This record gives sequence, C-alpha cells and structure tokens, in this order.
Amino acid sequence: MTNKIVRWGFWISILCSLLLGVILFALCSGSVRIPVKRIMEVMLGAGSATEYSILFDIRLPRIILAFAIGGALSVSGVILQGVFRNPLVEPYTLGISGGAALGVCLAIVLRLGCIIGVFSLPFFGFLGAGLIIVLVYSLSMKKNTLKVQGLLLTGVMISFVTSSLIMLIMAVSRAEDLHGIVFWIMGSLEEPSWFLIKLAVVVSIFGLFISYLFCVSLNAFSLGEEEALHLGVNVERTKRLLFILASLLTGCSVAITGIIGFVGLVIPHFTRMFAGEDHRILLISSFLCGAGFLIFCDTLARTIISPMELPVGVITGILGGTLFVYTLNKRKSIPGGKWLSK
Amino acid sequence: MRLFLKECIVFFVFLCVVAQGHAAGAPPQRIISLGPTVTKSLYLLGAEDRLIANTVYCSSPPGAREKEKIGTATRMNVEKIFNLKPDLVLATSLTNPGAKEKLKNLGINVVTFPAPVDFSRMCEQFLELGKLIGKEKEAEKIVKEARDKAISLREKTEGLSKPKVLVQIGAHPLFVATERYFVNDYIEFAGGVNIAKGAKEGIYSREQVLVADPAVIIIATMGIAAEEEKEIWRKYAKLSAVKNDRIYIVETDKLTSPTPVSFVKTLEEMVSILHSGEMR
Repeated sequence: MTNKIVRWGFWISILCSLLLGVILFALCSGSVRIPVKRIMEVMLGAGSATEYSILFDIRLPRIILAFAIGGALSVSGVILQGVFRNPLVEPYTLGISGGAALGVCLAIVLRLGCIIGVFSLPFFGFLGAGLIIVLVYSLSMKKNTLKVQGLLLTGVMISFVTSSLIMLIMAVSRAEDLHGIVFWIMGSLEEPSWFLIKLAVVVSIFGLFISYLFCVSLNAFSLGEEEALHLGVNVERTKRLLFILASLLTGCSVAITGIIGFVGLVIPHFTRMFAGEDHRILLISSFLCGAGFLIFCDTLARTIISPMELPVGVITGILGGTLFVYTLNKRKSIPGGKWLSK
Repeated sequence: MRLFLKECIVFFVFLCVVAQGHAAGAPPQRIISLGPTVTKSLYLLGAEDRLIANTVYCSSPPGAREKEKIGTATRMNVEKIFNLKPDLVLATSLTNPGAKEKLKNLGINVVTFPAPVDFSRMCEQFLELGKLIGKEKEAEKIVKEARDKAISLREKTEGLSKPKVLVQIGAHPLFVATERYFVNDYIEFAGGVNIAKGAKEGIYSREQVLVADPAVIIIATMGIAAEEEKEIWRKYAKLSAVKNDRIYIVETDKLTSPTPVSFVKTLEEMVSILHSGEMR
C-alpha cells in the first residue's frame, strides 16, 4: 500500500512539474520572444506595458483556458471509458459535440447572437449539448435502467444526424454566416471573455472533484456491471450521475472553445499506460496530463507557422495520434485490452 | 473674398493638425489591414505608408507583399498585432470574431468592413474608409470617377440586346451569383439578365440552368476547376451558351475582391464579353 502511494506521489509530482514546465514554455513562446528571466522581471513590474499585456492579457488567458478544457475533456474521457468499459468511447462519441455544434450553427444562422452578445454562442452551444444529453439519456432509459450499449449506439446515431443537419445548415447559409460556423467548428482557445475562462476553470475542477468521489465505483465498474453490483455499488445511480457529469464537462468545454478533438480519447489511454488502471490515480493524472497536453498543443499551433495560427485540433490530432500509436506499439499489452477480450 | 479667407483658415488649421500628427482626432498613422480588399483600398487612397502590416493573402498591389504579415484573413496572430501597436485595425467579415473582440479588449480601435452586397454599398464603404483614415477627398474623387464610369457603361449598353447570363462562382455544389451578391451588379450594369437573380440561395441546380437557357455563362477560375466546369457545360449541346460558344472564364480575384476601381475595370470586361458582336 505504501509502495503504491509512493508511486502515485511520484507520478503526480512528475506530472505537476511537467505541467509547470509547459506553462512556462507557453508563456515564453510567441511572435514576441520573452525569456523566462524576463517573465520574472515583468511579473515584478519591471517590464514594459506591452510585455505585460502580452503575457497577462494575451498568453495567460489562453493557457488557463487550455488548462481547464484539456483537464475537463480528459476527465470526461476517463469517466466515459470507465462506465462504458469501451476503449473507443470519448466525450464526442455521444453526440454532445454534435448537439453543441448544431446549437451554435442555428444561433449564427438565425442571428440569435444579438440577444445576449458575447455569451450567445457558448450559451446556445451549451443549450444544444444539453438537449442532446436529455434526448440520448431518455432514449436509453428502459424500465428505469440505463442501457449503456444502447446509450452508445443512440449517441453515435444522434451525432450522425446532427452532423448531417449541420451540413444542411451550412449548405443553405449565407457566406458570412458560413465563416462563423467554420470558425467555431475548428475550435479555438482565443476567448476574449474572462468570465467564460473562469467558468471553464471552475467547471473542470468541480468535475474532477465530483468524479473523484466515484473513483472506487469506477474501479468496481471495470470488473463489469454485475460484479460492481455485487461489490455494493449502486450501479444505476452511479451510471446516471457519471453520465450526466461527463456530459456537463464536455458540453461546457465544447460550448466555450468549439470542437477540439482527440484530447478526451487519447489522454486517458496514454495516462493508463504509465499510471495504471486504478481510477484513484487515473483521474488526477489524466486531468494534469490533458491540461499540459492541450497547453503544449495550443502553443505549437500558434507558433509553428507564425504569424499564421493553426487550428489547435490539427496539432492535438497529429501529435496525440502518432504519440499514442507509437507508445501502443512499444508496449505488449493494449490498454483497456481486458475490455476487448471480454 | 471672405469665403476664400475662410477656406485659407480651414486649410491652415488642417495643416496644423496634420503637422501635429498624434494630436487628438488626427487620422490613424499605424494601420493594420486584415483583408486583401481593404489593403487594395488603402493603396488606392494613397495611405500605403501608414499601412504597417497586412495578411499573407494581400499580394496586390506588389508593394503590399513586402509589408509585415500578421497571419491569414481568417486566423491572425493577436499577439503580433498588439505588439505592432496599431492605432487602427481594419477587419472584414472573415476575421475571427474571438480575435476581434480580444483586440478591442486590449484597447485597439477595430473597425469591420463586411463584404458589400452591391456596388453602391461598396462605394459607401470606400467613402467610410476614406473618412476613417483622413483621406475623404481622395475617396470621394475615386468613388465619383468609378460611379460616373459605371453610369456611362450602363448607358452604353442600354440600347443593346439583353442576353441571359449565368455567373458561376463555385463548383460542387454549383454556386452562382444571386441578387444578394454584388456580382449581380456586374451582370445588370453590363446590360445582361441574371437568370439566378431571384434565387434565394447561391446553390443552384443544373436543371434550372437548362430550363432558363442562358446565352452566356461566365465561370470564375476557382483554382483549376474552371476548365473542368467548362467541359461539363459543353455536354449540354442544347444550351444557347454552348451552341454559340459563349462560355467564358474570368479570374476569381477580379470578380470577388473588388474596390470601386477594380469593379469598373471588371465591368468593362463584362460589357465586352456580353456584347462582343454589337459594340464596334
């Protein structure tokens, strides 16, 4: 037991220091080079006003948002993969992102933006995500039990339907609306509103905290629903709460930043490779790993072909995908393989 | 005499203001353009020395290529823009709304010029731009010339035939110029009838084209797709445009990124395309 705690402590401290390193790297890099030493000086008030603004008004909000969204998506991925016992499930599989995208598209095309200004797109995104969650959830409830396989299939089908509807909207929308939709779908961490950034941080930390209360249940789930029941877990209630929690985390993330793929799928698997299957460590390390990964990817996205900025999804996809396949081939056992063999 | 004196005083005051440069209300001195059309307009107004940066798409006039680049028209580097300390950023409807909002929050003056729906709106926008950068007179002169020329071209074509025209600006799906798009003005000013004028959306079916039977089809280059599209239209031998070999290819840039000046130039080309046989 103590051995385990030492190992966990080791991984958490490694991940925390990596996260700090990535944050410093992200603060330093950009079209204006500000070395680490200079950051300290600027923090103490010695730098120019421009440097101060670049660090704290432009770079820091992006870093904080990437931290929150990366963490939220990863935790949501861990929860869903745990509940579904399926290694291919990710936050976007259940149609939540599709619902959010549909909400945003409708808001753009119907010009609902003027009603509540800056917050309109996140609001309608969240509304769309919420409606899809309710729909998928109620369709999968049979005799008061939540059928996870049915939920998965319904979710996949609904995401096909929403993506077709989005295509329909894009086909008939005006050119200027089309740009708005494409922007949003590509996903971006450039968020002008501090309120939404703070909201994302609160939601992601809250999500981590609540999901941590269920870490033992999640461990029981990995043995199978029936086994979990025998171990004394209130399976139905836990499934429902965890599904709603993961949906809220995803819905919030998608509503604020648009669709940023791969984080929620790859990070949980990647973390499992070194931290192990135990959800007590998996949840925290996935959160830290996802946060650091997204900050790193976003920094690459804005610097790699500067002054142009790539959509961050491009980097998360390429980097996450190749890194994952590489690590997978290096190892003999497949993470989550026990689910596949069942 | 008194009027002359007044004018002199006004001119003197104007000179003082210009000399002071950064005095309150002075025209912006460090401008960043976020779109090729805006860049072209700034050059037309003779404000190129005040343009400090533009996008990687801004390649005409040649001088614009040499300016500092801040990204593409859709994705720009906020940090770089901020670091260049502009006093005016000219955005378009393509500009990333988040980035625009961010710049505004940082205290930068951002003005948006959306894509114009017709020639008169295009002229108004050009005048607004002139006013904004303190080149009102130049803008008025350019717009007046363009308007006069457009009117005279219109008058010239009035007595001529009115061919049915289709302007195709996108393939897969077939996308055509409707009334909601200033390209429609090219057709009407040049004395043609736009068969897709009443269409609600730009997406159009080939069947509708066959029914309307345009006498002229104009295709925007769209990279390399135009030749292919021309071949596709050629398969419909019954179309008047095919029978009389009147399918033309026009550069996309000329058709879709206009200033009042380039509008008139393209309009001239349109007139010669539509009335090639009649205007001798």
